[in-house]
Amino acid sequence: MERNPMRRQLASLRKSLFDQGYLDEQFMELEQLQDDANPNFVEEVVTLYYRDSARLIVNLDHALERRPLDFSKLDGLMHQFKGSSSSIGAKKVKAESTLFREYCKSGNAEGCMRTFQQLKKEYATLRKKLETYFQLARQIGPMESANRPK
Amino acid sequence: MAHTLPSSDQSSDQDKWDSGGLECKGQLLIKIVMRNRLTALVVDGDTTCWVLEQELLHSYGVQTLGVDNSRDAVDLIASDAEFNLIIIEKILPVLNGLAVTRQICEIGVRCKMLEVTACSRESERQAFLAIGVDVFIERPLDPEHLVPILRELDGQ
Repeated sequence: MERNPMRRQLASLRKSLFDQGYLDEQFMELEQLQDDANPNFVEEVVTLYYRDSARLIVNLDHALERRPLDFSKLDGLMHQFKGSSSSIGAKKVKAESTLFREYCKSGNAEGCMRTFQQLKKEYATLRKKLETYFQLARQIGPMESANRPK
Repeated sequence: MAHTLPSSDQSSDQDKWDSGGLECKGQLLIKIVMRNRLTALVVDGDTTCWVLEQELLHSYGVQTLGVDNSRDAVDLIASDAEFNLIIIEKILPVLNGLAVTRQICEIGVRCKMLEVTACSRESERQAFLAIGVDVFIERPLDPEHLVPILRELDGQ
């Protein structure tokens, strides 16, 4: 049991990210790859993800403004977005990506736009939660920044 | 342009190769001990995935080289660089994954090829397998799929 209140808070925050379905086991994969040689690996990968995904979101926004919609292009962009998201274990974001692609496949413009708005919400929420998580982790110290699964 | 993994690695990187320890760690990373140091080429336009794939390979002691576009991949292969394993993403800048895979196979590469993609349709899967890709998996690349391949390449 963690006696230090900050560590407890970190552990609890981490647990809630999984329990509430924001993250899946892939995130634990990242944690496993973090070690003394790569003490900030998880945060580094997540930061890369923000960069990649932010760019894709801008491109998707632009593509969704065109009329008529180019479903094939949208599908391609979302394919990449889904790929990155699944690499860090972004579970809810990944689910919205899948739904978006289904709407692309069936040429459902309204479905695409609605889903994309939802996706952006989930993405923003996840990003905020992860930023809080890493901020706390950094305060505690590099050794505790990834809680090993028990 | 080829990059290496951004890390606090101490080894000199003038030859652009990255390497990791020979043991792998953690419970989720399936434990195996490799006899040989394998080499892998990772071709992926998405930085997040590419970093992760290389790190995962490093944790199994595989030396990796990463490129983020098809042209560099084909150039590397055509220049006789040898790899035990090539990991390719389906959607790439310059040429799509299918076209570059076909080119690589035409050059006569005889190593294991692994296709990694975010979502697959059966027709795409078949297309890749037909041109010579050995394994086609959905993202993310995980130990469960990777380890049997590494074992096989290591002659275990």
